[in-house]
Amino acid sequence: MIDFVLSCQHESGGFGAAPGHDAHMLYTVSAVQILATIDAVAELDLRGKAGQEQVGKYIAGLQNRETGSFAGDEWGETDTRFLFGAFNALSLLHLLSLIDVPKAVAHVQACANFDGGYGVSPGAESHAGQIYTCVGALAIAGRLDLVDRDRLGGWLSERQLPNGGLNGRPEKLEDVCYSWWVMSSLVMIDRLRWIDGDKLVQFILRCQDPERGGIADRPGDMVDVFHTVFGIAGLSLLSFPGLEAVDPIYCMPKAITSRILSK
Amino acid sequence: MASHGMPKGSGVQPTTDQDRRKELQKIKDYKALVDSVNSQIQEHQYTAETLELTSKLLRLNPEYYTIWNHRRHTMQHLFKGPGSSERSKEQDHDAIVNLISDDLAFLLPLLRKFPKCYWIWNYRLWLLKVSTRLLPAAEARKFWQQELVLAGKMLSLDSRNFHGWGYRRTVVQALESTELSTQEPISRMAEQEFEYTTQMINSNLSNFSAWHTRSKLIPRLLDERGADNEARRRFLDEELELIQRALWAGSEDQSLWFYHQYLMSNFDPKCARNSMVPDLTTDERSKYIAQEFDRVHEMLDGAEDCKWIYQSLIHLSKLHKSFTAEWPAKADLVRQWIDELLRLDPLRAGRWNDLNSDLENW
Repeated sequence: MIDFVLSCQHESGGFGAAPGHDAHMLYTVSAVQILATIDAVAELDLRGKAGQEQVGKYIAGLQNRETGSFAGDEWGETDTRFLFGAFNALSLLHLLSLIDVPKAVAHVQACANFDGGYGVSPGAESHAGQIYTCVGALAIAGRLDLVDRDRLGGWLSERQLPNGGLNGRPEKLEDVCYSWWVMSSLVMIDRLRWIDGDKLVQFILRCQDPERGGIADRPGDMVDVFHTVFGIAGLSLLSFPGLEAVDPIYCMPKAITSRILSK
Repeated sequence: MASHGMPKGSGVQPTTDQDRRKELQKIKDYKALVDSVNSQIQEHQYTAETLELTSKLLRLNPEYYTIWNHRRHTMQHLFKGPGSSERSKEQDHDAIVNLISDDLAFLLPLLRKFPKCYWIWNYRLWLLKVSTRLLPAAEARKFWQQELVLAGKMLSLDSRNFHGWGYRRTVVQALESTELSTQEPISRMAEQEFEYTTQMINSNLSNFSAWHTRSKLIPRLLDERGADNEARRRFLDEELELIQRALWAGSEDQSLWFYHQYLMSNFDPKCARNSMVPDLTTDERSKYIAQEFDRVHEMLDGAEDCKWIYQSLIHLSKLHKSFTAEWPAKADLVRQWIDELLRLDPLRAGRWNDLNSDLENW
């Protein structure tokens, strides 16, 4: 697995989705998360095309120093997903000092809306996925004091529908992946008790494929890795028996993030 | 990657040999196409032919982001024109206009087929930004102007499309920028966009995207109108009327209640800085809240099972108490309303219990 991850790296320090694909923030963050999970970050310095410091520099290079925001790659798409990705990977690498954290935090604040949520960029509608990225970034920066917890918690709790599942915006359908985006945010602002955990567990379990395994977006749909990850991570947040505790900020096992972040 | 809303079994394996052969041939053709695009790029063949190859590939797989980047590199070379340029400035200019027009046209059917694919929207924005950089403002402006029509079309197909709303906002921002301005003063579009949200709301009240956009446009709109305090009060009154009418039509609609909550924040002294009417007196605030309280309370008649009404009454009571130290109605009613919430909305019992225990701190 380490060989494959390293084969996606470029000399710039960034990673692509697969060998031969261009470097991009999203895949660079995934690479760091994978290496961190299997305790192989040091391999970057031993046999990567670029070492840890250079990976950090690639990510830091995507920050707009004027607005604090982050682009996905050299072509300039800007989105709070990339800002969170940068915070996530750089904190795992202990390289947050490479970026302007206060500016980035100010950018997140500029993305806040009247409902307490956050969007992809200033002016954009609140969306549970973007809320996860913004609250996650604030959590890593130690600035959760900036969140209007009751207002945001209220909006997030309204994502739960009578069937137990969660949606990502008002009047949308439920989907297992929001079990992660909504719930992790609720945990970070200490409002998980504002939704019905038992009903959500039942909903996630109904999305399983009982024959071939895996979890789908909704009961009866096709399963995939994406929804299986967020379904299981969601169940872990709900203390489902037999699962390891997941870190609500990083979506990685808590034992691993504790080991890395306490270094 | 992720299969959203795909029924189980919709991606089943081919059953007959013939199906399987067809499937294998498709994969073989796809792989050959990927190889030929990549080898063209490796050899720096940034030609019209390469562009066509990327078109073919992207029609099959628009999620292959590296191919979009290859296409950008190719376009950048084509914009420069033949190396020893014998073309005049005008010819250059025409060539760029044609390249951009053709490329925008190539993207249209892809957007229609994959309206939620980030890479297509990104590429399109990149192309438009190139037009701003390479062309005179009047020419580039034409391209951006057309995009407003496109955003409108996409939103008429799916009025909640996240990309559509975001795209519209970006296009408006560009049209308002100095780079694209062809006149003085620079055109301001808050008025027009506000009108657009009204249209969207009129055709469907449950459009949270439109209500949200409205909340973002209002402060700008009032500034651009140079609205004085009187005009601001009138505007606020109109918004209150609008939301009341909407609530009577759809009291179970959470979009409306969120917008109502936003309007109520205008009366919160803590939010005075962002209020539509920043100079409200304490007396005015409490009168407004009392008026809204009565209106919402009236809705209860015949809608005793609508949890949003109780939520709003509690919220208004709390707000009133926070700066007047008085309840708008009898205090013991709040506990009754919390009981109603527990009865009507057990999913969020934890929230209502927290509210109950917090009551003493109000």
